[in-house]
Amino acid sequence: MSMSEGLPIAGKEVFDTLFIDYRIMVAFAIISIIMFIAGMYLQLAKWGQGIPEGAKKPPGTLGTLQLIIHRIFENGFGPALEIIVLDGLFQRRTWRRRKMEWLMHILIFWGWSGLFILTVVAAAAEFYGPFILDEPPGQPDFFIRTFATLKIPNLIFASMLTIGIVIAATRRLFFSDVPPARFTIVDWISIIGIAIVIITGFLAYYLRIDFYEIEGRMLISQYESAAPTFFNNPIVLFHEVFTLLFCVGYLPFSKLFHMFVTPLVIMINKGGYVEVNE
Amino acid sequence: MRNMVNIMTRKKPAISLENFTPTQLMEYDACTRCGECVKYCPTYIGRNEDRNIEPRDKILRWREFVTKSYGWKAKLFGPADIPPEEIKKYTDDLYNCTTCGMCGTVCCAGIDTIELWESNRANLVKHGTGPYGKQNLFPKLIGEGHNPYMKQQTDRLAWMTPDIRIADKSDIAYFIGCTAGYNQQVLGVSTARILNKLDVPFMVLGEDEWCCASALIRTGQQHLGDVPKQAALHNIEALKERGAKRVIFACAGCFRAAKIDWPRAYGKALPFEAVHMSQFLAEQVEAGKIKWEKSLDRTVTYHDPCHLGRHVGVFEEPRKVLMSMPGIKLVEMERNRNEQRCCGAGGGVKAGLPDLALAVAKDRMNDAKATGAEALISACPFCRRNLLDGRDELKMDMSVDDLVVLTANMMGLSTDIKPPAPGAPKESISDMFRTQTIPPKVPPKAP
Repeated sequence: MSMSEGLPIAGKEVFDTLFIDYRIMVAFAIISIIMFIAGMYLQLAKWGQGIPEGAKKPPGTLGTLQLIIHRIFENGFGPALEIIVLDGLFQRRTWRRRKMEWLMHILIFWGWSGLFILTVVAAAAEFYGPFILDEPPGQPDFFIRTFATLKIPNLIFASMLTIGIVIAATRRLFFSDVPPARFTIVDWISIIGIAIVIITGFLAYYLRIDFYEIEGRMLISQYESAAPTFFNNPIVLFHEVFTLLFCVGYLPFSKLFHMFVTPLVIMINKGGYVEVNE
Repeated sequence: MRNMVNIMTRKKPAISLENFTPTQLMEYDACTRCGECVKYCPTYIGRNEDRNIEPRDKILRWREFVTKSYGWKAKLFGPADIPPEEIKKYTDDLYNCTTCGMCGTVCCAGIDTIELWESNRANLVKHGTGPYGKQNLFPKLIGEGHNPYMKQQTDRLAWMTPDIRIADKSDIAYFIGCTAGYNQQVLGVSTARILNKLDVPFMVLGEDEWCCASALIRTGQQHLGDVPKQAALHNIEALKERGAKRVIFACAGCFRAAKIDWPRAYGKALPFEAVHMSQFLAEQVEAGKIKWEKSLDRTVTYHDPCHLGRHVGVFEEPRKVLMSMPGIKLVEMERNRNEQRCCGAGGGVKAGLPDLALAVAKDRMNDAKATGAEALISACPFCRRNLLDGRDELKMDMSVDDLVVLTANMMGLSTDIKPPAPGAPKESISDMFRTQTIPPKVPPKAP
């Protein structure tokens, strides 16, 4: 099987919408998810070792998970939903105090989340086409259409993420109203990692955009030799694999973990200091 | 290999996670490092912007300690070493904090910093590096003597003057507190006279009143002898036994303890309603029961005590009372209500780090001066004491008094206390209405 062909699964031929080797993507997606779950488990285990005043033993990993869920919903689903939407998704606390930082956070948060959602959509489409639409085997038209549909939203979310990071860096370097926090190796890893994701992401995008005109009529077998950089482009492959590992697998171990924990803490603390929610 | 892992994992972590709830440990990981807390921290500013004092840095340092001791690497390879002097330095920096809660108020991550600092302090007291300086006297003083000032329980009502009527039994109680009872008699007499004038019969616990134990909780020493719990249960039971349905507090520190700390110790809601005197006065003003007998053309500014404002949420009632007073013009400091700057006394700082308390008090007095006010009014005897110190240090021409004292005067009541003892604290008498002086301390007799 050539690297640009689809992957036979249950008698169907499944392609990656980015036209890189589907097997590699599936393998790294699984590895990343396992890393993420393991990281989350280790973090939960760490939190679960806290022994509150008066308690004889720590609540443990499962106990902590139960506690988090209980605390978020203890006032009912309605109030929890309000906090999830206003404080989690729209970051009301930051909006109240730091407008530029809010813009930066919203761009990064939604840019990141948007790209993640589109990745999930793409992965879902890869199965939806052959198994539900029953696309004929060996015909990548459906995947080409999916790629074309997701291209603009991908560009929008990627641009949001990039602008947000540029604002963050600019603020920190030139316009910070407070001295910067202490800097550790974990911060450097995060900065370098994000830089790699962004640079390779845009590079990958522009490498493929050259072939936009031929997308609609290409067939892998005919055009692979004519458009060699489109299929299994090493930069695209590297970008996808690295992003999966860095942005999903490494997330619980990184400085960027606050993206995940901060909204949870705001929900647990019912929006934080009460005045904000009055 | 297995032996090596065993040896490595047998190593004990340098810190424990005692006193932390799992969600508090999450809070350390939630800090986005935005630095909003740094802008407002009164002790960071009071310590000439020492980076070790800023709340964000403390969160990041403790996060690092936890990661080194309990993170995934520690799980796999054993906990990393943390030099004891690093933990000691961290402890000292943690106590350079009034637990005013400003950092939590502005925190973009919604971290409940007041609870976090208190848990962290309790953890470090157990570790052996906390508390700080003279704060370690609190457990003995409060545990054995039931007050932090080394006074006698029999002197709890020493401030009483013959004109004051206290009922034997009433469903309204006045919880006096150690500071008003022993050191700021003007607050005690003013509260009692106001209640008498309003024909509100009230009772007090007198010798049966124990310290609210706030100082122990604020400095992380609640577990030592379980004193705060015992004190809370004693006071609650004593008040309940005497039929109190409503308990008035003129001290913001005691009020905070009764509203937040006592129910925790009691395990359920208190069997009475706890109200601050400013809330009670606002009710009386609203009901038209207070008749102002004087007009005072004075511009005043109001300092929100942390324990009354940010900790409990009472912001408007004191202002309502002030604005109802004839002639009084209320001007606000730039930082007011939930963004107020702490007076610098809380969290054990006055006892443990008096230089820091003074530095913060001076900043707050300068905030007040910037408004052009002639008097600074607060609703907490502890704030008043520290702000008086700040005022004196700056040699500033501004009166510092309590809302209750001002109210008493405006109602035509005397704010005089029993003739002050020689060398009594300056805060014993009213600062705005100086009808009394404190005689100088009698020099010790030559042997």
